Amino acid sequence: MKKLSILAALLAVAVAAAMSFGSSHSEAPGTANDRKADNTDTYAYTAPDAPNALTVVANWIPLQAPAGGPNFYQWDPKARYNIKLDNTGDGYEDVVYEFDFKNRYRNPNSFLYALPTVTRAGDPNILQDQTYSATKLTYNRNRRLVSRKRVVTDAPVVPQNVGPKTIPNFSQVEASGIQTPKGGGKLYVGPSRDAFFVDLGAVFDGINIDKPGRPNIGLGNQGGGKDDVAGFNTSSIVLQVPESEVTKDGKLVSGPKAPNAVVGVWSTTDRQRVSVLGGSSRKGGRSQGDRWVQVSRLGNCLINEVIIPVGLKDKFNATSPADDAKNFGRFALNPEPARILNALFGLGIKETNRTDIVQALLTGLPGLTQIGNHPAAADTLKLNLGVPPSANPNRFGLLAGDQAGFPNGRRLGDDCVDIELRAIAGALLPADQGGKQIPLGDGVDRPAKPTRSTFPYVPQADDGFNQQFGRVEPQHAPVPQPPPAQLP
Amino acid sequence: MTAIRPNLIKLLAPLAAFAGALILLVTLGGSKDAGLPERAGGVELSIPRGASTDQRIEVLQRAVRDGIGGAQGYALLGGAYLQKNRENGDPSFYSRAGRSFDAALRRDARNLDALLGAGTLAGARHDFREQLRLGLEAHGIVPELAGPNSVIADAQIELGRYGAAARTIQRMLDLKPNLASYARASYYRELHGDLAGAVRAMQLAVSAGSDVPENVAYVQNVIGDLELQRGRPAAARKAYMAALAGLPGYGRAQAGLARVENAGGALDRAARRLRNVSQRLPLTTILILLAETDQARGAKGAAERDLEVVRAQQRLLRAAGARPDAELIVFEANYGEPGEAVQLGRRLWAEAPSVRSADALGWALTRAGRPGEGLAWARRALRLGSRDPLFHLHAGLAAKAAGRPGVAVRELRTAVAGRAALSPLRAREARAALEALR
Repeated sequence: MKKLSILAALLAVAVAAAMSFGSSHSEAPGTANDRKADNTDTYAYTAPDAPNALTVVANWIPLQAPAGGPNFYQWDPKARYNIKLDNTGDGYEDVVYEFDFKNRYRNPNSFLYALPTVTRAGDPNILQDQTYSATKLTYNRNRRLVSRKRVVTDAPVVPQNVGPKTIPNFSQVEASGIQTPKGGGKLYVGPSRDAFFVDLGAVFDGINIDKPGRPNIGLGNQGGGKDDVAGFNTSSIVLQVPESEVTKDGKLVSGPKAPNAVVGVWSTTDRQRVSVLGGSSRKGGRSQGDRWVQVSRLGNCLINEVIIPVGLKDKFNATSPADDAKNFGRFALNPEPARILNALFGLGIKETNRTDIVQALLTGLPGLTQIGNHPAAADTLKLNLGVPPSANPNRFGLLAGDQAGFPNGRRLGDDCVDIELRAIAGALLPADQGGKQIPLGDGVDRPAKPTRSTFPYVPQADDGFNQQFGRVEPQHAPVPQPPPAQLP
Repeated sequence: MTAIRPNLIKLLAPLAAFAGALILLVTLGGSKDAGLPERAGGVELSIPRGASTDQRIEVLQRAVRDGIGGAQGYALLGGAYLQKNRENGDPSFYSRAGRSFDAALRRDARNLDALLGAGTLAGARHDFREQLRLGLEAHGIVPELAGPNSVIADAQIELGRYGAAARTIQRMLDLKPNLASYARASYYRELHGDLAGAVRAMQLAVSAGSDVPENVAYVQNVIGDLELQRGRPAAARKAYMAALAGLPGYGRAQAGLARVENAGGALDRAARRLRNVSQRLPLTTILILLAETDQARGAKGAAERDLEVVRAQQRLLRAAGARPDAELIVFEANYGEPGEAVQLGRRLWAEAPSVRSADALGWALTRAGRPGEGLAWARRALRLGSRDPLFHLHAGLAAKAAGRPGVAVRELRTAVAGRAALSPLRAREARAALEALR
């Protein structure tokens, strides 16, 4: 009797399962978010405490909850992470810093991340430890590789800040992981609290002028926004190298007008190229570079999100900035967001032939971020290394006359969302050419956790015990959009 | 732990919804741009990051009920239902997914996620021609996006169009190597007998990973299955353990561990484990493995009960007019009416002329006393070079019965070499048949 009832119960479930599973074929997942390869942000600036160096912050793997254990996000040893620089203006990389990771799992039978107590990067108590090597590659004008130099070998990755019991002093662990690459400078590879800030809701709910209790939030830019990135960590590479390591003549930059002053910066991720027919069966001499496929890239913030149409996003991620004019130029020249803002709110923003947007983001601003006389329209973050760092950085950067800020490079505190919204609305155009000074903004003004004034600059990674999500910006008086910036 | 986390939709990539939210507003404002599909809800949905599938479903259900999700809300809800089915095998989620995709496509006939979701669903229901049609339709809308290629490739494989599948998978790999494309390269290699290459590709898939734990566990688990075919139970065990570490209690990996136990002769322990798993995840594969483990360890009564469950599944499927399935045809040939199995096999072949269908039809013919024809079909099943020990066992037994001892010995040797991937009953059968020919 008992057996029968068990059988009956089993049958009921089993029948259901059979209806659902035609099990005799592969059911591999059809899609997968490739977050380990996802470039989230790229920053490039001259740090006040390192005036003769280029500082780059490149972040990968977005939105890591600090209490993400036991499966913390790791760098993928089977991928390759790159910071690329163009110092000639053709949109092709002239200098590349390439990062390769290895797992050093000390106890293959344990799935714990670390044991108390961890006092330094590479500490034996980090069970799922990783190491990395950094290689500097240099290319000539014909895009031939001319040198390849290991600048850091098998250095420990700074571990996740798993909590005060395991890591009582994370600052010490962080500092112990800072390397000096060959050629000089500093290198940090490890977690940080994401410096990016945005209120996704308020940007557009707010632009819709009113929200209950928050009138005029979008147009007035008066705080009150909720930072959706607040509380999340990301994986950072902070690279600081002497200017002479990256300029086209290998020399220091003498001033903003120097011919070697501007470099274009972007970060990319590659994954291994695979032939469906099997590993080495492909014919023909394949060069080193052909073993990899680029799957993600990031120069200026938000390009992929607001400029590139959905159907071309994979293509954008797979292609080189050098081909941006051909592949995507029309989308920057006639930016979709301008049309949408007009359709929604009748702002009368110029929708077509936006050479100002192309210039600010792709070809560079003449006299400030343009590289050479015939620059390619390329999505690289262009930084004039000759412009001294600002004593009082303004989050609106160039739009507020602060020439050391976005779109001249990008600092951690630059309000990329507000700047781009205002630029799209016409902040960079003279009034007689359709310029408009509309004080758009998302109501979030700064990273939720302060950036630091010394290397590695990024906000320190949070531990899993002190998570706080969704910081709300205090309300403040509206910040108007100043008149068109005076370019040098 | 209790903090409210920002939502997933908004944050798939920071500001992926930036444009999406705009477009949603445009949609609500009635001036939708057909070139850009909207994202669900943009500003209003709140799905915790790292949310379980249940949490996703809950939020998306609320969104569509409140009328803020639009076509994309329904499409994402359908996708979450499909994922739920991957996790618990409950078929009611197929019907729900189907209704959600229909609702999405009524609102926007070109919604990509709905087209691809409906395509995946068609494939799960073994309607591979419809799966191919939907995949191609999506591909036509976004020819440079990698996504549609996975739906297309899966259908081409099941329709036996292997050359076309290779081109589709390569296109996907060249554009966007990730878990989805590496996994398809792996399966293609497996079908062609390149097991080491299949493992290598699947290791890339595991390393690339996914936000959904079940997805990673699935590919990790396949490595275990491949290692068993290669006769490496220790490596297989490692892969199953890794899958379980990432997704505790994962039924397929539990079944995998039982296979490892079977390979090591621990049949009683394997049976206990399988019985346990089958009560949570009564997949046909698991039930048949349990039945054949029980038979091999001499537990006749238990085996009979296991078989009765599969028979019940089969009766229900047939009553519901479901499309035939290779595994159930082999089951029918072994434990039911071989003649009936032949008929079903012919229908299957007409609908899905894959190597797996050829194997099922061939074995049905052999069991029905027509081993000559059975052997011809077995050869078709092996035409790509598959090292699946079950295919080789069927080929060997057909050859033996057809009076082709040379062929039989060769095929049975291959089957015996991969016996760790067979049930203990079939492994024993393979060895006995080979002995008898010596």
